[in-house]
Amino acid sequence: MLTAEQNDELTQVAAGTPMGELLRRYWYPVAFTRALEEFPVQPARLLGEDFAIFKTPRGKYGLVPEACPHRRASLAYGVVESDGIRCPYHGWLFGTDGSCLDQPAEREETNFRERVRARAGHVAELGGLVWAYIGPEPAPELPRFDVFVMDGVRDIGWAELPCNFVQIMENAVDPHHTEWLHGRFFEFMARHQGFDAPSSFGKKHVKVGFDAFDWGIIKRRVVEGASEEDDDWKIGHPLVFPYNMRVGGANIEQMQIRVPVDRTTTRFMLYSVHAPDGVEYPEQPQVPDYQIPVFDERGKHRVDYVEGQDMMAWITQGPITDRTVEHLGRSDVGVTMLRRMFKEQMSAVARGDDPLGVYRDFRDRIDLPCEKNKFDAGGSFAIDFIDRGSSRFSPQADALKKLHIKAMENRKAAAG
Amino acid sequence: MTAVRPEASGSDLGGGPLEPDLGRGWFPEDAERHRRDAPKYCPACATALSLALGGQGLITEYWTGTDRVFVCFCGACGWSGDIVLADRVIGHEAAE
Repeated sequence: MLTAEQNDELTQVAAGTPMGELLRRYWYPVAFTRALEEFPVQPARLLGEDFAIFKTPRGKYGLVPEACPHRRASLAYGVVESDGIRCPYHGWLFGTDGSCLDQPAEREETNFRERVRARAGHVAELGGLVWAYIGPEPAPELPRFDVFVMDGVRDIGWAELPCNFVQIMENAVDPHHTEWLHGRFFEFMARHQGFDAPSSFGKKHVKVGFDAFDWGIIKRRVVEGASEEDDDWKIGHPLVFPYNMRVGGANIEQMQIRVPVDRTTTRFMLYSVHAPDGVEYPEQPQVPDYQIPVFDERGKHRVDYVEGQDMMAWITQGPITDRTVEHLGRSDVGVTMLRRMFKEQMSAVARGDDPLGVYRDFRDRIDLPCEKNKFDAGGSFAIDFIDRGSSRFSPQADALKKLHIKAMENRKAAAG
Repeated sequence: MTAVRPEASGSDLGGGPLEPDLGRGWFPEDAERHRRDAPKYCPACATALSLALGGQGLITEYWTGTDRVFVCFCGACGWSGDIVLADRVIGHEAAE
């Protein structure tokens, strides 16, 4: 339970608020590389602000406020040229560094354009995603987490959710929900709707643990039948502060990304890399992305797959869940730890320090701790993951299953 | 990815202060007790913890058995710890 003031502070994203200032210290994915190759300018909303992101024919990216500094028409409808983006309304041209390069209707001898800038931030491409940084200078390094740079077959499911991102992040430090939401509830819905629920999610939690580390919080669990020697406890998996969770198992590596689009909208992305040993990965000229369903045709939540169940829980908590009337128990200690971490990092920013997870020395690859043998479920987890998770909506779902089955066969054959 | 804009409404969720959601009758008495009983000042440096008193701390309350546990963080000095309102204090069991 929190006071209304504390809940208010924790859930802000606007510039000038402690939480908004903290969140502006990080890079966020705001577009797919594929989308900008298909059409070179896209709208992007991040932390309650609207931008236009573009890629010039020379391959340079730019990010400008969506409203043109001239008379506020949308640059997301701009004309992309070799040097930058031109406003569709009166033709003002802005370079990728935000400088105003042309004001066609103004007289040549004026220095008016030197008084105008449209710089919004930095842009970089990594792993099939286009990332933006809109915080203070100098920009930190874009973290090259393992999933974004490793070999394998990539696949990105996504949805935009009408709720604040903090309640989604609290789910990432709440191991107990798994056995209920993805275990008992899954089984209940399966019985009533006539499908098979996977057995691996319903195992009872014997013990949970949380450790702060360089990138956030490592979550650990011991499920019934397993021990502290198993991956789920010995390695665990991390909440990557402030808006990611790294998960994996059975040769599928995943970053769950929760981008705060604005205070009551979160873009949920499931960035998966299928990387089984014993098989060659096909070329991927573009990383497939696809929208996953949140609601069915009657407007009810789709709860026949794992992430649909998560989204139901997050959204039904309300646009900004009211923490003044919640009741936390001892099993929610991970949630209290995360809230304290947000507050500690707000204080760090107020002191002028870099918060957790902001780093400034380039590293080619950042490996995150993540269990391999998920829920002690063995190799069947990969097929359950695809059949009963969001990957079932992927245009390459069948190919992914074949990849894992072929790899298993090859590994068996190699083992004799 | 499609940029989503908030729909126009009478709600102030966009940036203004949040109103406590007590109107639905969800445990308002516990919310009131939290506001009344949560620690007001840092045990280490005596700076206000509560935002309402001008502090920069965070107090999260959880329940365990009959105890109420306030997980505290002081934004002024960095102190962090649990303060427990306990109905009963139990010492060591006597050795047999």
